[in-house]
Amino acid sequence: MNRTMFYRTITTIVVMMCVALCAFAQKGLCINDVFEGKVVLKNQMQESLIKGENLASYKLKVLHTARFTTHNNNREEVEKLFYEDMKSRLSDDDENMEMESRNGHLYYAIVQLTDSEKGAHRFICYQCKDNDRRYDITLVYMEGSASLADLRKTFKKK
Amino acid sequence: MFNNMKRVTSENVQEHLARYMEGNSTQEELRLLKEYFGNTKDLPAELRPYAQMFAVLEDKPQTPSVEALNRFAGGQVPARRQRVRLWPLVAAACIAAFAVIFLTPPKHEENMAIAYVDGKMITNQAQAMQMGQEALQEIFSNGSEEEQLTDLFNAK
Repeated sequence: MNRTMFYRTITTIVVMMCVALCAFAQKGLCINDVFEGKVVLKNQMQESLIKGENLASYKLKVLHTARFTTHNNNREEVEKLFYEDMKSRLSDDDENMEMESRNGHLYYAIVQLTDSEKGAHRFICYQCKDNDRRYDITLVYMEGSASLADLRKTFKKK
Repeated sequence: MFNNMKRVTSENVQEHLARYMEGNSTQEELRLLKEYFGNTKDLPAELRPYAQMFAVLEDKPQTPSVEALNRFAGGQVPARRQRVRLWPLVAAACIAAFAVIFLTPPKHEENMAIAYVDGKMITNQAQAMQMGQEALQEIFSNGSEEEQLTDLFNAK
């Protein structure tokens, strides 16, 4: 292999690694569409985004919540996105997931996803309550070192 | 295209000449013109200069020789262009970019607590925290009653 070929090979490998890393960094969750207001308009939802030290006591680093009331089509759209993200769940074990369906629709779910590339635990949560032919939906994304057991202990009302 | 004038005749020679003068003649039309002026003996006086012109006209323009070009350039032959090798530079830039990405110490986690209600941003951290907690409590309060009773029992 001459010098030119060597440089070309090295450069090609490096560029391919760059492309792969960029693609990985941009890999997002489907429910981001909801948080970004692509399903229900932002001004029709209540949203909170908390990061950093504020969540230290919960062993979390990121907490993103969205609550809104919407019609059936949007409910189905959110549900579909949530199911899509559930494909990345850590496992079907009770310690990593709880879920309940009613009348063929997801009623609530708390799902631990595979860890982030930095090793943080990731969770997505969903709840949909019937409200006079409309639906009150709560959607949550969490990230941190807490386990699902920790979160249950912290947030379950006694 | 100049399809209607395949052959050059005394009737259409002026049109052929006009096209030639405008630079619109094809090689084939030029050949026909040369053939016409070369073979026609009783040309009108106004066309005879053309006959002389086409008699000396070559089919293809002469290309200057290398020597002639060198003479034109004052005898100076330009130096051979140096080829710049880009691959080493690109490889070095990529490696440098990687070094910057991986060797830069990670930034501390950003602290943030904001909320949006009806499209309005609320920067009150306590309020944002409360909204987040309420959403979580709402979801985590689900589960079977049996499980909740078990939790309560275990808590006591």
